[in-house]
Amino acid sequence: MKCLLIASESAEVLFHWTDPEFQQNVQKQYGASQEDGQGLPAFEDSISTLFAPIIISCITMVDRLRDSYTSFTTENHHIYVLHQFDECLYIAVNGDGEEGECDLRRKIYVVKKMTEVLFGMVTLSSNLLRKELRPQDTEQRARLWKHLQSLLQTYGHLRENDQSFLVEAVERLIHPTLCEQCIEFLERRLVQQLNSSGERAGEEVMHAFILVHTKLLAFYSSRNASSLSTSDLLVLIIMAQNMYPSNTDSDDPNPEVENDRRTSGSGPESFYTPEPSPPPDRGSSSSGGFCGRCCSMAEDSLQTLEVPPPDPSTPRRVFLEVSLKDGLYPMMPHSMYCLPLWPGITLVLLTKIPTSAVAMSVYTFLEAFAKLEKRLSEGQEGSAATRGQRTIHEVRGKLDKFIKALGPTEIQVCWIEFKNLAFTRGGPGFSRHLIPSCKKMKTQLCAVYRQCFLLESGSSSIPQRLSPGLQERAQSMVQEKLMDWKDFLLVKSRRNITMDFPGLIHFICVDRSTGQMIAPSLNLTERNTSELGKGPLAQFIRRKVWTLVNTTRRYLQKGYSTVTFRDGDFYFCYFLWFENETGFKLEAGDLPVLSDDSAPIGMLAWDYYRKLLRYYSKSHQGEVVKCYELLTVHLGVVPAEIILQHCRQLASKLWEPSRNPLL
Amino acid sequence: ALVMTELMQPDSRRCTYFFLYDGSKVKGEGDLTREGICYFYPEETPLDEQELLCGQLAGAGRCVSELSSSPVCVLRLRRNKFAIRMKDDFFWALGCPVEVPTISVCELLDQLINLFRFYNGSVRRSYQLNRPETLASRWAQYLSHLQSGSSDLHHIFSCLRTIDATNIDPLLLLKAALILQACQRCPLVSAGCVLFRGRVVSTQISPELTMKVMVHESETYTKGPRCNDPGTFNSFGGAVSSTTVFLTRSSLAKFLPFSKTRLSRTLSNTPSTESEPSDAFSSPSFSRRLSDSSVFSPDPSQSGADPTPQQPDPPFSNGEPSPEAEEEVPEESNYESFHSNGNGVSQMHNEAGGSLFGEDSRLNGGGGDGDAARGPVFDFRGAEESRDHNVFEEVSGGGCGNVQGRGAESPDPARSDDSPLIPMTLYLHRVKGLVLALLVEPCFLSDTDSMEEVYHSSLASLNGLEAHLRTVSPGASGPQGPYLFAHFDCVQSTLTTNLSARPGGALQRPFVRATSLLHSHFCNTETLQEAIIRSAGAAVYGTRSVAQETYFQQHGGSLRNSGIPNHQDSAFSLPGKARHRLLKHGVNLI
Repeated sequence: MKCLLIASESAEVLFHWTDPEFQQNVQKQYGASQEDGQGLPAFEDSISTLFAPIIISCITMVDRLRDSYTSFTTENHHIYVLHQFDECLYIAVNGDGEEGECDLRRKIYVVKKMTEVLFGMVTLSSNLLRKELRPQDTEQRARLWKHLQSLLQTYGHLRENDQSFLVEAVERLIHPTLCEQCIEFLERRLVQQLNSSGERAGEEVMHAFILVHTKLLAFYSSRNASSLSTSDLLVLIIMAQNMYPSNTDSDDPNPEVENDRRTSGSGPESFYTPEPSPPPDRGSSSSGGFCGRCCSMAEDSLQTLEVPPPDPSTPRRVFLEVSLKDGLYPMMPHSMYCLPLWPGITLVLLTKIPTSAVAMSVYTFLEAFAKLEKRLSEGQEGSAATRGQRTIHEVRGKLDKFIKALGPTEIQVCWIEFKNLAFTRGGPGFSRHLIPSCKKMKTQLCAVYRQCFLLESGSSSIPQRLSPGLQERAQSMVQEKLMDWKDFLLVKSRRNITMDFPGLIHFICVDRSTGQMIAPSLNLTERNTSELGKGPLAQFIRRKVWTLVNTTRRYLQKGYSTVTFRDGDFYFCYFLWFENETGFKLEAGDLPVLSDDSAPIGMLAWDYYRKLLRYYSKSHQGEVVKCYELLTVHLGVVPAEIILQHCRQLASKLWEPSRNPLL
Repeated sequence: ALVMTELMQPDSRRCTYFFLYDGSKVKGEGDLTREGICYFYPEETPLDEQELLCGQLAGAGRCVSELSSSPVCVLRLRRNKFAIRMKDDFFWALGCPVEVPTISVCELLDQLINLFRFYNGSVRRSYQLNRPETLASRWAQYLSHLQSGSSDLHHIFSCLRTIDATNIDPLLLLKAALILQACQRCPLVSAGCVLFRGRVVSTQISPELTMKVMVHESETYTKGPRCNDPGTFNSFGGAVSSTTVFLTRSSLAKFLPFSKTRLSRTLSNTPSTESEPSDAFSSPSFSRRLSDSSVFSPDPSQSGADPTPQQPDPPFSNGEPSPEAEEEVPEESNYESFHSNGNGVSQMHNEAGGSLFGEDSRLNGGGGDGDAARGPVFDFRGAEESRDHNVFEEVSGGGCGNVQGRGAESPDPARSDDSPLIPMTLYLHRVKGLVLALLVEPCFLSDTDSMEEVYHSSLASLNGLEAHLRTVSPGASGPQGPYLFAHFDCVQSTLTTNLSARPGGALQRPFVRATSLLHSHFCNTETLQEAIIRSAGAAVYGTRSVAQETYFQQHGGSLRNSGIPNHQDSAFSLPGKARHRLLKHGVNLI
């Protein structure tokens, strides 16, 4: 019984995802209220009608009481979590006990993050985002919704089954020699060749990485690239998994499978259908790997839709954070090429597109207007409203040139209007009256951005991308390199590390500064025996580990960095600590205490740890601060001193420079 | 009144909103939301804000309930969290600041509704029979009672306020218990409790029921005896009053079958019961001896171990004829079997005690060697009750799951509104600050003989007890130390702590915050036994068993720490320290 809904302030459904149980529940209720025997209305209409009073009430509460609903719980344990981002209200529902309030809130933030990666700065204008999420064209809407639904489903599956998505950090395959070889290969051979090729249509490969299932074998960033944030990398892994799902329930690498087509499914609830794809009219809608479950529950009107087959060589448009010397640029356009090597092993290329400088300008302008608007609405006027960096005065000249280059467009009109209000002698100047004009400019800038990066130039022009031939060459180069290793890698990804501490059942260690984690695997399928073996005990431990992570997050949210507890026959520990670059342990400071409905603690949707590090670094100026976490599960009979010794050893061993812990 | 006002902290109200909204009054298009508002707290809230909250919360709540085919029980806003109860057209909402554990908010609302039902019967019927203003003042009264004297810890644990037993002679507690037992000889008396200045001295009834009874007690206490009060009996000099109360069948069943067998159980818990004590105590002659003030000896062994009951005397020392003769036949035989033969009575008690309560006695004894010595004498609520208790401990599951679990213990008032309520009478006999409260059959009031018998048999003892309790200085709290602790007995609903009653002490705040989090965690995770949590400022240890929760913080120590695992870390020595330190507070964690 799960549902996720995005609604506008006028209670229009902008997106929904439901599982079959929820859909049935809605239809049953609708059936019951429709006594006149008419046919059931379209599912989208029912869901919209049922949720409308909640949405309207929520908006009313914000308007009149400056407070809003964050959750409802019913006696039969259904949970509704609500969160508003700008003018969009997100509602997540669970009625099967599989997700708690924090899981639902996390899911909402994850969907928000996905829309940012898919639509970039268009998300900064609620008005445009609304149109983007709910295209007028039903065919287009169906495609987009299916894609989002499928991503959400993939995320849900990973969160439930993959430890790296549980703790929201990237897991590396631990094989230092091979990793190094691969990185070298990516750098010297692959990226160099691609970037010097004439078939790259102006694109430049910035990052290249190889995934074995969800684990990272090798990651290479070109010299002039900014680092890829953990949050973005995790979303990219979800997208790669969505296109080429790992069959986590069977570990049998099937060499007969075609390279670019996956024929086995990921779990009982999803299977791969050789995926149709729309003409390359928009970057975000060309994905494959929709799962059958999503298709079956899409709204009635969309079910009959026939989607044309995809062009596998069309890249996906993704918007990723770029940090340069002069600052942070969120949601910069990139192209993502996901090239399957073998089932379970994928090469991902991220390229900078030739026009990306435009995006940086747009962001600078947007930021200036947003800052100004914020200050004006806080009541500041005149020069007080335009202090600081990247102000409207600074960008004025650049914006003039930018708009001139665009030619006669709507934004030109708005800009002239703005200038008249703001800069004319005797005009209102920088006062409250400028706020509507600021808003207009922001919307216009988002529209320009949308025009440039979300809408492809149309079928007439040559699609801008690495040529299919170049992609194929990249694919076969890496295949050749890894041919002898592939079976080993697939097995290795299931048993990444082993441990040798009597009484220690499981651990997870996370380096939050780099967003990486290490943990023994917890695969629970017939074929894969994890460290724990298989069967109910392993299942039980797995559940405990999942609960443990949620519990420790709850304490961390309230400022507790050490938590240990005895639960049944087990003893759990959690530690968070800071070190400087030389490994010197820094004193535990006060951690921020957050409210219950604060953003989820993690790195995927909202980087709590980045903020934590920034917060902590304030009191450690001039030092590089690193943040680590360790979770352990011991048998309860082990004496506390031994448990603490284990923890101590793990904490110091795991991140030794050799990166070769416990082998 | 001094004790009550002293503890009353106006800004420590845990409840920010409470309202009862009757949707049946607002059905038509033209109906105003305000017509459905039965009661709204704070009463000074502007009417349009009242309407907004009632209308929106009830509307959104109904919509969610329809979607999930189940009533909403918790609703959160960014700044407040609400416990919700929905029944028919009634919609209750109780809002607290978000820091208060959800489970505690739900408990508070259940208590409130149960209180109303206890004194007024069915909510719907009450609103049919009474003017809304009258009932509004009752909601206000109950709410104010539940919030009175609440410290920060009381926001977390809903507990009975008991007399501070650390500086009270255990014999006084025993005395109180015996007064209650003596009253139970009258077949119309079910069970009762003894209260002193708003605190429990001894009770035979469940904590929930005791809490309810205390509302009426504090009301009569603040009002003072008024002779023209319809519930006051002039014949007893205004000291006796009564009111009708309503019990659910289940809460009645909890003590009725056992009420007569309580004697042996209560006594088995007392420290001075070396050999077959129930025989001695339960014999009428012994109770008569106790009613003589000479028995108020400071030496427990002298009174408790007195092995030679005198010849059976008429059970009442005031010389009135024993009431047996006037009893109706079935009642008489019942009564006879209990009272005419001392040995027979003892035997019955022993059998009952042995078979039904043996385990409980052990539980109690094991829990804190000398419960009675350090705390008021409590009865366990019977074997059935403690099994209930286990059931609710086992119910788990995240968030609301637990709310439900607790709900099982004190049945959801809204849902059980249909369940028939059984009228009983609450009889109060006040001697200055001391009150004897008894749940009696309604016919007790018309039975002059029984009333006089109960009145006179207890009067002297009550006077004696009051005189002694009055001399006990109320202020002195337990031993302080370089630590904070809170010990909650979930069975008896009592809290022992060395925190000062005044809320908001800066030193105490980290402890209260940690306790609140750990308590929620314990409630949500049935298998959780102990936990240590540390922030930069404080490390707190929490441990729980089926019957109790204990929280402990050592001052200083863990402050300068990197947080990396370290076996020399002082946080991990907390369990040992707690075990050691809390022994002298009568808390045994081994």
